[in-house]
Amino acid sequence: MLVAWNTVRRMTIDIQTSLGTTPRDGWRDEFRRGLASCLPILLGVIPGAMVLGAQAAQKGLRLGEVPLMTGLNFAGGSEFAAIQLWTSPPHVAVIVFVTFLVNSRHLLMGAALAPHLQHLPKRKVFPALFLMCDESWALGIADARRRAALGVGPAFSLPYFVGTGACIWLAWVGFTSLGAALGPLLGDVEAYGFNLAFPAIFLVLLRSMWTGFRAARPWLVALVVAALTYLLVPGAWYVAAGALSGLAAAYFLAGDAPMIEPK
Amino acid sequence: MIEPTVLLTILLMAGVTYLTRLGGYLVLRNRTLGARAMAVVEAAPGCVLISVIAPSFVANNPADLAALFITLLAATRLSMLPTVLIGIASSGLLRALLG
Repeated sequence: MLVAWNTVRRMTIDIQTSLGTTPRDGWRDEFRRGLASCLPILLGVIPGAMVLGAQAAQKGLRLGEVPLMTGLNFAGGSEFAAIQLWTSPPHVAVIVFVTFLVNSRHLLMGAALAPHLQHLPKRKVFPALFLMCDESWALGIADARRRAALGVGPAFSLPYFVGTGACIWLAWVGFTSLGAALGPLLGDVEAYGFNLAFPAIFLVLLRSMWTGFRAARPWLVALVVAALTYLLVPGAWYVAAGALSGLAAAYFLAGDAPMIEPK
Repeated sequence: MIEPTVLLTILLMAGVTYLTRLGGYLVLRNRTLGARAMAVVEAAPGCVLISVIAPSFVANNPADLAALFITLLAATRLSMLPTVLIGIASSGLLRALLG
């Protein structure tokens, strides 16, 4: 753990340099705030990472190949799908296409983030977006809404976002490698209750985005469609189906919604 | 020594994934949105999050569903860490008790 924290500290400086900013106290504080707010999320990330690493080792990936995949791709859902489909040698086109499908939600997430990034130059946004995953993105947006409500400007804090992403990246690469190394010794970590860590995190994030039932109607549509798709269609289609139905619902419901939401 | 097809697969996965991360931002950068489009973009985060966890809502064993309900209640009033701990503990306990 101590080694990990020292690495995190070193990464702070690396990321500051690569993003073209001079190390300032504000940047460091915001980065640390991001790291800290990510710690509870690691309870959900670490077991998943260990399971993925162990599965990858079973499918014949070598120890060095696991951190290469999880470090460069850094998108858990697509990696689980890729490992499920993995053969020796792998079907390159199938795996790359499935990776795109599973990660197509990033397009929506990037679109939702875009209005928050308008005060930033591309040379900072491009490397930072490499660290955009479900958790860093949701924390970044929730934080921006909180800061906007407090009147802090600019609402979106890039170093906070980079801090959350770096924290998850380190844990993801480290613990997928550890899972690959320990492999079959682990058994089934889901049996210990860690299966609910991710839903718990996401429910708290949803609560922080809640502005009333009226605004949340598209979520209900997304939930129902995603659940039905999950039950009826094999594979990871349920994320895309649920999210797109929710967005369609938001589009049509906007017609009768008042411009200002009553509190 | 990494096999060439393994390396190729990993590099293409990484490239495609990074493009999905840049895509939404590049399309919407420097544009202002109408009221309807704003409604869609504002609903997007919640729709993606709830879709990702939708399988938990249709879990096929009562222990997981009960634990999800407890976690949902916890999430409405507690912050991140206690909610996650309650989620893990309730799921672990209920699975051990109800099987």
